[in-house]
Amino acid sequence: MKKTLAFLSLLVIFAALLLATHPDYGIKFGLGGDEWLRYRYTDEYYIEHGVEEVGGTNIVTDIVFDYRGYDTLGEATVLFTAIAGAVALLRPWRRDENE
Amino acid sequence: MILPYLIIIPLLGAFSMPIVSLLGRRAREAWALLISGATLAVAVQVFRDVWNRGTIVYTLGAKSPFGMANFPIRIVWEVDKLGAIMVVIVAFVSFLAVLYSLEYMAHDTGLEKFYTLILILELGMLGIAITGDIFNFYVFLEIMSIASYALVAFRNDTWEAIEAGIKYMFVGSLASSFVLLGIALLYGQYGTLTMAYLAIKMAENPTIVAKVALALFLGGLLFKSGASPVHMWLADAHPAAPSSISAMLSGLVIKVGGIYAIARIIFSVFSPAVNLTTVGWIIIIFACITLIVGNAMAVIQTDMKRLLAYSSVGQIGYILLGLGIGLAAYGTKVGEIALAGAIYHTVNHALMKALLFLVAGAVIHELGTRNLNELSGLAKSMPKTTFAFLIGAAAIVGLPPLNGFASKWLIYESSALFNPVLGAIAIIGTAFCTAAYVRVLFTFFGKPSEKVIEAKEPGPAMLIPMFILVATIIIMGILPWQISEKFMIPAARALWDVFGYVAALMGVG
Repeated sequence: MKKTLAFLSLLVIFAALLLATHPDYGIKFGLGGDEWLRYRYTDEYYIEHGVEEVGGTNIVTDIVFDYRGYDTLGEATVLFTAIAGAVALLRPWRRDENE
Repeated sequence: MILPYLIIIPLLGAFSMPIVSLLGRRAREAWALLISGATLAVAVQVFRDVWNRGTIVYTLGAKSPFGMANFPIRIVWEVDKLGAIMVVIVAFVSFLAVLYSLEYMAHDTGLEKFYTLILILELGMLGIAITGDIFNFYVFLEIMSIASYALVAFRNDTWEAIEAGIKYMFVGSLASSFVLLGIALLYGQYGTLTMAYLAIKMAENPTIVAKVALALFLGGLLFKSGASPVHMWLADAHPAAPSSISAMLSGLVIKVGGIYAIARIIFSVFSPAVNLTTVGWIIIIFACITLIVGNAMAVIQTDMKRLLAYSSVGQIGYILLGLGIGLAAYGTKVGEIALAGAIYHTVNHALMKALLFLVAGAVIHELGTRNLNELSGLAKSMPKTTFAFLIGAAAIVGLPPLNGFASKWLIYESSALFNPVLGAIAIIGTAFCTAAYVRVLFTFFGKPSEKVIEAKEPGPAMLIPMFILVATIIIMGILPWQISEKFMIPAARALWDVFGYVAALMGVG
C-alpha cells in the first residue's frame, strides 16, 4: 500500500518535471540569439566582462573563484565537514571500563 | 561593517580547531568557547544595526552587486529584521550549547572533531540566515545538514546513534536534492540566482516551472523542519544525539533550515508570482497534521528525550500554523498577528526546547538512564535541575507568566479569528502537550526510587547554561507584549514587504 502510493507519487513528480522541462511550457534547451540574451543574461555578462573584471582567461574559474567565490568557500567547508565527520565517526570506540 | 565577521569568526574557529587542539584539551575548549562567544557578540551587533538602520545588503567582492550590468552578478547577503532575529537566537543557543558541552562531553573521545563540527553547524545556520542568494542558501543548507548528520551519529559506540545517523542522512540528502533540483529549474527558467532579483523576474513571467520549483522547495524544506508525514527522522535523531546537540538540532536546525527557509523563499521569492492563499492552505494542512501527531505521540513516550523530540514536532506544527495563516490571510490584521506569533514562537521554542534538552542531558549524565519510569522522585536529589525542567515545561505548555504564553496566544487568537476549526485543533494539540509534560512532572515529584537517591546535581558548566535559559524565559515572560510590539510585529511586516526586500537590493547600485 505504502509502496504503491510512493510509486504513484514518484510518477506524479516525474510527470511534473517532464512538463516543467518541456520547451512549450517551461524551460527551453539549446538557447540561441534573442533567447540567449533573454534567459542567460547573467552568463552573457560573465563572458563579456569576465576577462577585464577578473583577469583570468578561464571563465569558469573566474566565476567560481571571483564572482561566486563565497560559494566555493562554502563547498570547501562542506568537504572539510565531511572529512571531519567521517574521521569522527570512524574513531575507535571509547572503552567503557568504569561505567 | 561588522556583518562579514559573522561568517569569518566561526569559519576561522572551525578551520583552526585541528591546529589549536594540538595544544591540549584546555586550549581546545577555551578556543571553542571564545569563538562562539565572539560570534554571539557580533550577532548582537548585527541585530542592533538592522534594527537601527533597516535591512543590510552586503555584496561579496565588490561595492555593489551589479558590476556594469543592471542585474546582480555577485553573491549578496541581505539581512532583514527576521534574519537578524534568527542570527541572534542561533548565536545565543550555540554559545550555551558549547558551554554546556565542556562538562557534558568530558567523558567522550574525539572531542577536537566534536568542537569543529559544532562550530560548523553554527556557521551553516548563520549562513542560511543572512544569505540573499538562492544557490548560496543551498550550500549553507548542506554545510548545516552534513555537520548535523555527523553530530547525530557522534557517539559511534551506541547502536541507536549510528542507526539514527544513517536514517537522517539518507532521507536528509534526498530532501536536499529536492531543493537543488528546484534551484536548477529556477535558474534554467529565470537566469539569476539572487533571491530578490528572482522575485522580479518571476513576477514578470510566472510560469509552470516556478510552481514545480516551489513544490520541490516545500517538499524538501518541510522535511528539514520535521513536519508531520516526514517527521520520522527527527524522533530518532534527537534522542540519539548528545544532549547539547539535541538542543541545537531541536532549537535551531529545524527552525533555520526549515521554518526560516520556507518563510524566506515563499515570501521573498515566490510571493509576487503564486497564489498565496493556496500555498497558505497547503502549509496549514501540514501544520494541523503535525500539531496533532507530534503532541499526541509525545504523550505515550517512556523515553525522556524521545518525548521532547515529539514535542518539538508538535511545536513546529504551531509555527507552521502561524506561517500558513500569515500566507493565507496576506495583507490583513489577522495574518500579521499570525505571522508575528509564528516568529515569536520560533524564538521562544528555541529557548525552551534548548533548556529542556539540556535538562534531559543533565539527568542522563548523572543517572545514565532516559527511561521516565526509572526517574521518579528526581526533585529530591536534583532540585535545581527539576526546577529548570519545571520552568521549561510550564513555558512550552504556555502558562501566563512565562514566554510561551504570549506567542501561543497570538497563534490561538489569529487561528480562531481566521477559522475557528483551526483554533480548536490548536487547543487540542496543547491539551496533548500539557498531558505529556504533566506526566513527566508527576514522575519527577513522585517517591524517590533507589536509583535516583544517590544522584547529584551536575557541575557549574552544565547548570549555568540551564539557568541562563531559565532567566531568559522568565524575563521574556515578564514583557511579552512589549517584545511582540517592538520586535515580532515589525519582523512580520518586514517579511511581508517583498517590495522593500527587492528595493533594498536594487537601491544599492
